[in-house]
Amino acid sequence: MSSPTESNNFFNEFLDDYFAECEEHLAVVRRELLALESCMNQPQIEGSILNELFRSFHSIKGLSAMVGVREAEKLAHQMESYLRSLRDGQISLKPEGFDALMSGTQILERAIGAYRTKEDPPDIDEIISQLEACNPPVVAKTPTAAITPFEVKLKPEEKKRLEALVSEGKQIWHFVFTPSTELSKQGIGVNAIREQLQAIGELIYVSPRLNANQKILFDFILATQEAENHDLGSELKYLTGEPYQIPSPVSEANSGSSNLKVEPPREPEAPATAEAPGEVEAIGTVVNRTESERKESEERTETAPAPAEVLETSEAETSNNISPAKSTSPLISGSNLVRVDLPKLDELMRMVGELVITRARLEENLKNLPPSFPAARRRTLQEINLTLERQLRDLRQGVMQVRLVPIAEIFARMQFVVRDLMRLTGKQVALEISGAETEIDKFVVERMMDPLLHLVRNAVSHGIELTEERLKAGKSAMGAIALRASTAGEMVIIEIEDDGQGVDIYRVLKRAKQQGLLSDSVSETNDPDNYDSQTILDLLCSSGFSTKEEADLASGRGVGMAIVKNTVQELGGCVKFTTKKGKGSHFIIDLPLTLAITDALIVEVSGQTFAIPESSIQEVLSVEHKGIIRLEDQEIISYRGHVFPLRYLARLFNCVVTTDESEKLTIVVIGNSVNSTGLVVNRILGLREIVVRPLTDPFLQSPGIAGATELGDGRVVLILDVSTLISSKIPKIIKPQQFINSG
Amino acid sequence: MNKSADTSQPFILFELDHTTYGIPSDMVQQMEMVEQITPVPNSPSFVVGVVFSRGQVIPAIDLRVRFGFGKIAYTLRSRLIVINTNERTVGLIVDTAREFVSIPAQTIQPSPEGISSLSGKYLAGIATLGERVILILNVSELLVLPELVSERSP
Repeated sequence: MSSPTESNNFFNEFLDDYFAECEEHLAVVRRELLALESCMNQPQIEGSILNELFRSFHSIKGLSAMVGVREAEKLAHQMESYLRSLRDGQISLKPEGFDALMSGTQILERAIGAYRTKEDPPDIDEIISQLEACNPPVVAKTPTAAITPFEVKLKPEEKKRLEALVSEGKQIWHFVFTPSTELSKQGIGVNAIREQLQAIGELIYVSPRLNANQKILFDFILATQEAENHDLGSELKYLTGEPYQIPSPVSEANSGSSNLKVEPPREPEAPATAEAPGEVEAIGTVVNRTESERKESEERTETAPAPAEVLETSEAETSNNISPAKSTSPLISGSNLVRVDLPKLDELMRMVGELVITRARLEENLKNLPPSFPAARRRTLQEINLTLERQLRDLRQGVMQVRLVPIAEIFARMQFVVRDLMRLTGKQVALEISGAETEIDKFVVERMMDPLLHLVRNAVSHGIELTEERLKAGKSAMGAIALRASTAGEMVIIEIEDDGQGVDIYRVLKRAKQQGLLSDSVSETNDPDNYDSQTILDLLCSSGFSTKEEADLASGRGVGMAIVKNTVQELGGCVKFTTKKGKGSHFIIDLPLTLAITDALIVEVSGQTFAIPESSIQEVLSVEHKGIIRLEDQEIISYRGHVFPLRYLARLFNCVVTTDESEKLTIVVIGNSVNSTGLVVNRILGLREIVVRPLTDPFLQSPGIAGATELGDGRVVLILDVSTLISSKIPKIIKPQQFINSG
Repeated sequence: MNKSADTSQPFILFELDHTTYGIPSDMVQQMEMVEQITPVPNSPSFVVGVVFSRGQVIPAIDLRVRFGFGKIAYTLRSRLIVINTNERTVGLIVDTAREFVSIPAQTIQPSPEGISSLSGKYLAGIATLGERVILILNVSELLVLPELVSERSP
């Protein structure tokens, strides 16, 4: 059939799918546990929650059994039993039970992770006893002896080949191999067996399946020269096997046992647990299984004695009966979902981005057609261009939608983190979550997981005070941390707010001076009010900055905040921060909903081209110099009743200011109705759709620059970071710039 | 590949101020002419700006500035060497670059204690190929971020 490397790849892909599937089920578990916690105190727990949890653990159990991750299998089995009892109303959910579910989920996650990283699995005995304690004693049911036979389902080509071989006088055998840990320790695995078999004949068919006891085995159909071996059973002593007869077409509909003899290996130990028909999970590889499943449920035979030895460690199966739940087959989803690799989606996005640039170039060229070009034709072309723009926009929307996932993924994990920390620190914290259904780009979710975890840990470790302190301060004993997510136009806003002790600005300043992060000339006064929260945030985020409190185990060593800021910036977003000593801290993270494409105003400043995101622009003005009012060291302008300060981009960016006193000033007003700034530029070049590319390299972190784009000529154009430019004070860490007026 | 003492590693050689430097070729993504660099305001002095390379926006570093030599105008022979290391992709601007050599490991000596100059700390070693002296670059040292405070504009 296939070479050893191909089957290796097959198994590795098998494993990748295993980890991916388990992660999906665990994500469901976390989400449902979140919901469960909130309705724990109600008399009636919603049945769907318990059912979802039960099904997820059931699936994880089956998957882990297939692959051989014993700890995960056992633990998932215990969780599943507990949930069945809850679901069937046999017991009610108590706080200890919920705790056990939470811990169990974490340990389960670790057990699966340990298999992946080839580390020792965590100890599960304690959690198993915890769960057993929550579950009522189970009545052992006497197992029936029903072991249904298994019919190998061959593809038409395989059958043809077999028939051809038979007519050539070859012998056909059906072997069954049951892998076990003992055997694999001796180096005897499915690949070794396959090689052995290939050495003596032609392998027509190989496939894994689950037997009645949820154990994985492999079926081999082999063709050999008749003369060679007459007693294969003893040569290949780890297999059970026997002659195989190709089923004739008629008999497939209704095979009697005369056609096929199949030997599931007998368990050397305790009797098999009873399985009601129709329960065996499908193994979704190679051949479709549904028909064999159906057949298994229809037929029954007694077990024939296994001819050869089968070495196998059996596990002490609990005698809990597994009720016929509707479990989805692991590797082939029964539902309408498709699992897609994120890189494929990234590639799609990239291709859409290129289309956008190309269309923009088309538009430019259309605009530059000579006037002699026939007007009707020009109109047609322009109309086509507009249609193209609309269609591209729809395509872009579509691809974006595909990438969106609810932020609940991240929020659900926070529960666990908070609980752990509560135990570690002895503090009492209530986590309040809202907007979990807010959808954000999957890529953003992946990147923001760690920063958000860090902020939440920070809030618990440094924000919320110990209970006695809180009571002394007149606060409630239970600290509160709020996690909120919402969308506002093209942005997603994530907030983390705590009612703890806030950040001690004085300490931060002191520490910053100690570490040399504030040069002396800048810190004229020690007055904390001189520094706005944004500056403090910048200080906290400088890599290497840490007050004594930062460097404790719960939060890490002064690296965390820097990563938060960098990640958010890389994603094209920004972090805002307010804190009040004694009252608490509030982090607001703005992230763009669309990573890639936006409309921007292209401007020229002192010979350089820049892009300003259109969504932040209020309007564009042309103003005489005499309309400018000087106020101390600021220039402001009054327009239509609003007053706002002017910012010379040239100055900010260390370019020479080339505006002329005699000319009018071109001003781009950015911000919102509350907070505006007028940016002085030389010229407006136009409005363009641009593809935003992040500036990820640490060398390129420049305040006021949010990213880069390309307008079709291969040259990089920088995109301005409007939020930095709006803030009323330029952070004092940056030295004031010199400027030269020409003209 | 055996790991004995006489393995040779392939290097890309470039010149700065008539001195030859070497970079392991497995780090080099591509080499390009120097053109269209967009300056980034408030970036370190040795970061001339950014360029596009394979769909990514990367910084272009003037190695002369980084090493403390005087900056010169770019010529047709100047090259941008795009290197890839540790998840960072960066472009290095050099005077010329066009050689590939295999340097046997035993010809590389650690750089002597006496070299304390700025460019000295960016050396991983010195190789002698016959009469030629090639300075082997310590790329990770090159890419270390300057401290906020110690960064002074020239």
